[in-house]
Amino acid sequence: MDSSNDEALDIIITNVVATFRTRCHLNLRTIALEGTNVIYKPEVGKVLMKLRKPKITASIWSSGKIICTGATSEDDAKLGARRLARVLQKLGFKVRFSAFKVVNVLAVCSMPFAIHLIDFTKNNRPIASYEPELHPAATYRIKHLKATIQVFSTGSITVTGPNVQNVATAVEQVYPLLFEVQKPLKKKEKS
Amino acid sequence: MSSRVCRTCGGSDIDVDQARGSAVCTSCGSVLEDNIIVSEVQFVEGSGGVSSAVGQFVSADGPVKAPLLGSGFHTSVGKESRAQTLQGGKRQIQQLGSQLQLNQHCLDTAFNFFKMVVSKHLTRGRKTEHVIAACLYLVCRTEGTPHMLLDLSDLLQVNVYILGKTFLLLARELCINAPAIDPCLYIPRFAHMLEFGVKTHEVSMTALRLVQRMKRDWMHTGRRPSGLCGAALLVAARMHKFRRTVKDVISVVKVCQTTLRKRLTEFEDTPTSQLTIDEFMKVDLEQECDPPSFIAAQHKAKMQQLEQELARKLDDVEGEISCYKDEIETELEKSRPKLRGIYAAYAKEIDPEEAEVLSSTSDPEEQEVEDDELQAATQHLTQDFLCQVIQEEEGRGKKTDDNEVEAGPDMEGAGSQRQAAPLAAILGKLPSAASLGLQQTLDESETGEKPDDEQSEGGELDLDGIDDQEIDKYILNEKEVQVKTELWMKQNADYLKEQKEKEERIKKEKEQGTYKEKPKKSKKKKEQIQASTAGEAIERMLEKKKISSKINYDVLRDLNRGGTGSGGGSSPSRASSDPPNTNTTARKRLNRRRRKKANDTNRDLAANASIMGKSQSLQLPSSSPVEPASSCGSRWVVVCLDQLG
Repeated sequence: MDSSNDEALDIIITNVVATFRTRCHLNLRTIALEGTNVIYKPEVGKVLMKLRKPKITASIWSSGKIICTGATSEDDAKLGARRLARVLQKLGFKVRFSAFKVVNVLAVCSMPFAIHLIDFTKNNRPIASYEPELHPAATYRIKHLKATIQVFSTGSITVTGPNVQNVATAVEQVYPLLFEVQKPLKKKEKS
Repeated sequence: MSSRVCRTCGGSDIDVDQARGSAVCTSCGSVLEDNIIVSEVQFVEGSGGVSSAVGQFVSADGPVKAPLLGSGFHTSVGKESRAQTLQGGKRQIQQLGSQLQLNQHCLDTAFNFFKMVVSKHLTRGRKTEHVIAACLYLVCRTEGTPHMLLDLSDLLQVNVYILGKTFLLLARELCINAPAIDPCLYIPRFAHMLEFGVKTHEVSMTALRLVQRMKRDWMHTGRRPSGLCGAALLVAARMHKFRRTVKDVISVVKVCQTTLRKRLTEFEDTPTSQLTIDEFMKVDLEQECDPPSFIAAQHKAKMQQLEQELARKLDDVEGEISCYKDEIETELEKSRPKLRGIYAAYAKEIDPEEAEVLSSTSDPEEQEVEDDELQAATQHLTQDFLCQVIQEEEGRGKKTDDNEVEAGPDMEGAGSQRQAAPLAAILGKLPSAASLGLQQTLDESETGEKPDDEQSEGGELDLDGIDDQEIDKYILNEKEVQVKTELWMKQNADYLKEQKEKEERIKKEKEQGTYKEKPKKSKKKKEQIQASTAGEAIERMLEKKKISSKINYDVLRDLNRGGTGSGGGSSPSRASSDPPNTNTTARKRLNRRRRKKANDTNRDLAANASIMGKSQSLQLPSSSPVEPASSCGSRWVVVCLDQLG
C-alpha cells in the first residue's frame, strides 16, 4: 500500500463516532434510574451511558437516536452499539437496531521527519491553510474524500474522515506532499 | 452605426447628424429619423460666463433612484437595503481603519472586499463587526502591514479565535491567498513601542538577525510570531545595553511570561547562543537545528523507554541483589565522593538510606533490612544504569572511567554490561516491531469492513457476540433502582418542582380556557411600562434602560418638559381635551417604537410630536451614532418650538 517508502507508517485510530436509531420512543427517566453508568441531563434532554467492554460513551435521546463515541475501530463501534441496544431492550423498550452508520473516524499518524509548514502551505495554496496566530498546525482538506488533515511541524498528523478507508487513502495522498517539504534530521544528539 | 436602408430609394448611405438629431438619406434626401436620442455631454452657461456640464453626479454605490430629497439629509430615505448595508459597512470600516492607522488605499481595498462578501451573502448569520474586522485583517495581510489579529480583537473586545474563524472563512470563500505571517514584519513596530530612542534602528536590525536565525533553527514553525519577536527584542535590547525587563516586553508584544521564557530557553539550546555578541554580528553558523518540540518529543520517548527498561531489569536483578549486599555497601561508600554535578543530588539521597541500612543491619527483623538494602541497591543501580546509558549517548569519557572503577565487583560489571547490551538490542528491535504491528492493524481494518451490514434496514438486532450476562450487569436490580430513584429525586428536587408547577399552571389555564399553545421559540417580550402620561412613560423607560452613557438623560427629560410647558401654554384646550387620546397614542407609539428598537431620542421626538398634536409619521434615523442624533433631535425640537411661537 505505501509504495514509495521502505518502513511502513503507523496509522492509529483513536476515535470512531457512529449513530443508529432504535425506531421507538425511549423514556429517559427509566433509563437513568435503572441503568448503571448513566448521566442524565434533563436540560439538554439526553442520557449519557458509558459501556466498559468496548469503551464507549453513548448519547441517548428520547426520540430513539443514539450517538456512540469513543470506539477504537469500526467493528468495536458496531459491537458497542449492539450491546447498547441490547441493554435498552432488557430495560423493556421495543428496540430495533436500524440505520447504523459510522459518521466520523479520527486517526493519528507520525512521520519520521519534521515538516516545513510554510512551504507546505505555499505548495498547496487553496487546499491548505496555516494560521500560526490561531493554531500551530496547517489544515489540509481533501474535498472528494471529505477528509481533514492537520499537519504539525513535528511530523505528527491527525486525520479525520467519514470512514477508515478514507482516512488511509488520505494519509497516502498527503504523504508525498509532506515528503517534499520534509526537514531532514540534522543531528540526533544535542550538545 | 447600423447601416440602414432608405425606405424610399433603397440607398444605404445615411447621414446622421448628432447636433440636429436627425438621420437623412444622402441619395434621395428623405428624412428617416427626427429627434434622435443622443447621449453626449451638454454644456450650459452659468452665471458669470462659467460653462458647466449638465447632469447630476450619481455614485456607483449610491442609491438607485436619484436622491429627490436633496443633499444634507442625514436620513437614508428611499435607499434600498443593499445600499444601506454597504454604506453602513463603509462607515464602520473607516472608523476601525482610522483607529488602526491604515491609509486610504487600504480602506478602499477593505471596502471592496466587503462588497464582495456582501454579494456572496456571507454576511448572513454573522455580526457585521466581525465581518468588517476580517476584511480589514485581510487587507493587512495582503499589504503586509504589521497589524495582528490580536489588535483587532483588542479594539472590538471579541475573542481572537472567533475573528480568526471568520477571517479563515472569508479568505477561503473569496479565494484570497494571504501570504504567511513573517515575524520580521512586527519587529519595527514593537521596537518603536519599546522606546529605544536614537538606537531603535540598530536594535531592530539586531533583532531581525536574531529572528532570521531562529527561523533557520526551526523555532518559528507553529508558533505565534509575536512570541518570537518578543524574545528577539529582549535579547537585542540587552545586547545594546538597554534594560528592558520581561514585563515591559510582554506588555508590548502581548504574550505570556511563560511563553517568552520558553522561547528564550529554546534559543539558549541552539548553538548560536554560545556565540558572543560580536561573533554573532559577523558570523552566521551553517548548521541548523531540529524544531524544539521535535527534540522534546524524542527526549520524552527516550525517557519512557529508559523507564520501561529499568522496570524490567529491576525485576530480574532483585533476586541477585540480596546476595551481594555487602559488596554493594562498599561500592556505595566508594562511589559517594566521585559522583559529580547533578548526580551529587542522588548521592546525598542515598546517604540517609545508607545510614538506615547500616543501622538496620543490627535489626533482628530481616525483612526490613532486606527491603532497605534492596532500596539502596536499586537506587544505586538505577543511578548507575542511568549514568551508564546517558553517558553512552553523550560520550563523556571522564564519567565512564569513574563508573568502570566503581564497577569493581564482577556482578556489577556483568550487570551493567548486561544492562547495556540488551538495551541496544531492544532499541534496535523496536522499529521493525512497529512496522510489523502496522501491517497487522491495516490488514485488520481492511478486512473488518468487508462483511457489510445487511441489517441496516431490517431493524432486527443481531445478538451474536453479545454476552447476555454481561448485559445484565448494566441493569440495576429492584433495590438498587429504589435507592437510585430516591437519590435522583432528592438531587433534582428543584427541577421537578418547576416541572410540576408548570403543569399545574397549564392545567389551570386550560380550565379557564385561556391556555395558548406557546410556540417553542417565543420571542423575549419586554414588559409594558404602565404610566399615566407620556412623560412618565418616558421617564420610567429611561430609568430602566440606560442605552448609552453618552446621552445626558437629564437634558433630554428637560427637553420634554420644556416642550410640554410651551405646548401646554399655547394650546391648553387641545392639551386638556386630548389627554386620554394622546396618552394612548403616545403609549401605542412608544410600544411600536420599542419594538423597532429606536433610540431614546426618537422616543422623545415621538412624545414631542404627539404632544404638539402632529400626526405625521416620521422616518427616523435607524442606526446613526448618538451624537448626530441628539444634535438632530435638538434641531427638531427647535423647529417644533419655532412653529409654535
